[in-house]
Amino acid sequence: MSTTRRNTSQRLTLIILILASISAITLDYKGEASRGITSVRHAALDVLSPIQRILSDALHPVGDFFSGAVNYGSAVKENEQLRSQLGVLRREALQNATAEQQLQEVLNAEHLPYVQNLSTLVAAVISGPTSNFEDTFEIDRGTSSGIGDGMPVVAGAGLVGTVVSAGSSTSVVQAITDPGSSFGVRFGTPGWVAVAQGRGAGYPLALSGVTATMTPRDGQIVYTSGITGASLPAGIPVGKVSSVHYSGGALTKTVQVVPVADLQGLSYVTVLQWFPAP
Amino acid sequence: MSLRAWGRVVLVLVLTAVVQVGILNGLVVDGAHPDAFLLLAIVAGAVAGSQRGAAVAFVVGLVADLFVLTPYGLSSLCFVLVAFGVGAATALPGGRAPQSFRIVTAFAGGIAGSLLFAGLGALLGQPELPRHQLIAVVVVVAVANVVLVLPATGALIWALKVDSAPRELATTTGGSAR
Repeated sequence: MSTTRRNTSQRLTLIILILASISAITLDYKGEASRGITSVRHAALDVLSPIQRILSDALHPVGDFFSGAVNYGSAVKENEQLRSQLGVLRREALQNATAEQQLQEVLNAEHLPYVQNLSTLVAAVISGPTSNFEDTFEIDRGTSSGIGDGMPVVAGAGLVGTVVSAGSSTSVVQAITDPGSSFGVRFGTPGWVAVAQGRGAGYPLALSGVTATMTPRDGQIVYTSGITGASLPAGIPVGKVSSVHYSGGALTKTVQVVPVADLQGLSYVTVLQWFPAP
Repeated sequence: MSLRAWGRVVLVLVLTAVVQVGILNGLVVDGAHPDAFLLLAIVAGAVAGSQRGAAVAFVVGLVADLFVLTPYGLSSLCFVLVAFGVGAATALPGGRAPQSFRIVTAFAGGIAGSLLFAGLGALLGQPELPRHQLIAVVVVVAVANVVLVLPATGALIWALKVDSAPRELATTTGGSAR
């Protein structure tokens, strides 16, 4: 008898907790409640950010020490490769100066915002994603520094993500490789437009909307498109085309793009103070 | 559960959040890292039983959801189901819990919890991880659970003030050994 009562009580508890969870999910999808939950999330991140900064400062040298010790051989080899790449890049920079000027003229003509005209803010990466099911990272700047939702984030050679949740002193950035990330891109001399989608950390982006008539080439640079209503400004380098597959008769091509920025082990990033069109 | 016990659970949760956000998020292997919140939910089911364990796991999920972008309540739903399942498994005859059983439960719970989260997320329209990355997540979470299960168990036994000694078969089945 008591076992039956206990089982009934257990099932009742389970049902109540499931219903409470579903209610929370439903509330999160509703406007007002969602804003409240977002505020609580920001507050939680702001409370933890000083501890994160301390732990990040304390643990980075330890991690770097072990990483350096383990990867010494490859670091030397990488140095040599970088020296060689630097020479190539210097030469390309000179060649690109003309193309840059032409691009600027086209963008001006189309009234598109251009990256080089935007003010920027440098931020330190203080934490990776808490969930394994998203590719995000946290930076040590928030709304108090002028950061807002939707601002693009770049590092080194190109785009790394977008601010998706700006708290007062920290912000969460969704990496371009996150499976939920998608944005318009432009590539090739005619300026073909497609949509880049993340496929998970460490994996190339997939381009959708590349029709059979488009002819992307391996190594071709892909930029943000910045067309009207776009979530990102024009002209930020995103990646290089790494593979193009086309089965005869298909309407579209399968194109993969490797990000030009190294998204692994980011320490500092630059936030472009650009707001997406409402 | 008394108010004092809930206070200790909150303390353990704060410590878990600090460890997760400050340390474990940086221990990335093949794009995946340990999940201390999921482990805490599994251990709650193992040490407190299905009913109390599910209640603790619900609160753990609400806290975990503060640090992610997925819908608020998704972790709670997943953790409640996992903790209830683990609690039910430990209540089975012979199920209650030498250390080896807890380690096996943490491993299996890590696999089940990660797959359940992925499945529930897909049902709610969340972007799906590619299969290769989902496998990496499942493996890393399950293995990390095995490493971290003993300290997590100790913390929750302290918080909930439950008997840490393995229960006898007779106690759980309601029969008599004599």
